[in-house]
Amino acid sequence: MSDDAVFEFLHSELINYIISQNEGKSKEGKDEDLSNIEYIGFSTGYRIIERLTKEMPRFKDELDTMKFICTDFWSALYKKQIDNLRTNHQGVYVLQDNSFRFLTKLSSGKQYLEVAPRFVAFTCGIIRGSLANLGIGCLVTAEVQNMPSCKFHIQVQRT
Amino acid sequence: MAVCVAIIGKDNSPKYFCCLNPDEELGFQYKVLSSLDVVEEKLNTTNKGTNDLRELYLGMLYSLETHKIYGYVTNTKIKFIIVVDSTNMALRDNEIRSMFRKLHSEYADIVCNPFYIPGDAICSKSFDVNVKNIMTGTV
Amino acid sequence: MSRASTRFDTKKVNSELVTLTYGALVAQMIKDLDNTEDVSKQLERLGYNMGIRLIEDFLAKTGTGRCLDLKDTADKIQSAFRMYLGVQPNVANWSAAGDEFSFILDSNPLTDLVELPDELKNLKYCNIICGVIRGALEMVQLDVQSWIVQDQLKGDQNTEVRVKFIRRLEDAMPAGED
Repeated sequence: MSDDAVFEFLHSELINYIISQNEGKSKEGKDEDLSNIEYIGFSTGYRIIERLTKEMPRFKDELDTMKFICTDFWSALYKKQIDNLRTNHQGVYVLQDNSFRFLTKLSSGKQYLEVAPRFVAFTCGIIRGSLANLGIGCLVTAEVQNMPSCKFHIQVQRT
Repeated sequence: MAVCVAIIGKDNSPKYFCCLNPDEELGFQYKVLSSLDVVEEKLNTTNKGTNDLRELYLGMLYSLETHKIYGYVTNTKIKFIIVVDSTNMALRDNEIRSMFRKLHSEYADIVCNPFYIPGDAICSKSFDVNVKNIMTGTV
Repeated sequence: MSRASTRFDTKKVNSELVTLTYGALVAQMIKDLDNTEDVSKQLERLGYNMGIRLIEDFLAKTGTGRCLDLKDTADKIQSAFRMYLGVQPNVANWSAAGDEFSFILDSNPLTDLVELPDELKNLKYCNIICGVIRGALEMVQLDVQSWIVQDQLKGDQNTEVRVKFIRRLEDAMPAGED
């Protein structure tokens, strides 16, 4: 497949489908239920990592795995590397992408900030799914303050 | 030519088991599950040279009178075990590695089926056929 | 982070990303909706929504002009298949009246590695393609019907998508001042 357009549009339609399904059910809180979008991302991430890491040598440790996510993995999926990786070396990682692929299409004003969470839910799922299959269980949330920049917070769950 | 192939999941539960000779199945299942201890041991020895650890292929796990058992662990913690007849002297290390790589490819393919839930046992007919071909060397 | 980022073939990964995302979406729809009939319809609708946007993208990227006739349209869709899905279908099985034809795909990235379980035998997994064709052509004033005739996921040799021209939609702008 030579075109990014297909994935962009599929991603948008996926979001539209889930949102319209949510409207069918009664909603109480203000927050949208994006868990299905996240789950689709989880499933995709879980499976794609199996194929991507087939030819790769074993990861040394958790930080090595995170670096892979920020470089090769992010480049393959989002055409660029993560701009900034921070960690407290105790299981919390923050990945910053200053020009997140799905937010660049929305204008950078404040008016779309409300719907920004919809566009990052899938990616949170992909990260969570990929790490889960690599043996790192975690929670992933996203923070969007200045579009198109986005920060992904990964909290590794130690058993 | 392999006589038995097993795929064990992350939690050490078997996902797939195939034995060319159905009579020997129970015996092999036992041998395969006991070889998992050796796999754990190999994965945990971090003091050896880093090169050894970075390879997915673990080499021979142990050797019995009649059979040899080889192991391979993916980055996603899935373990592949191949049991080979000892009398088959022609089978070299390279060929075993190649069998594991093909097996890994097949596994990666089945994981991409949206109707396969990872963690479940693998029950796909085409997977069976492909694995048997790998085992008998017809691939 | 100085690791080289040329390790993966980006085109291939993008293709796999679409395949896997689509698969996960289909699985989700099956959970949400009760029967395969509804899921198939929903996939067509999803395809329709994508089609009306893809056509803009296609026209912008190829700078192509108006199609002269249905055969021309078929050829353009054929190149769209190549552009977006990376496969080249054959255009065949024209009806005697020249208003129906089929795209024959011997490989389809959307269904790569997918195995339909028995309980989903009636699912039209590729219905999204029918929707895309319908949506895209509607944007260029062609009302068509599109459906799956053969499906590789059901054991057929190829996947065949049939298109039937219904009518030309009226242009939004008046034809002329006089």
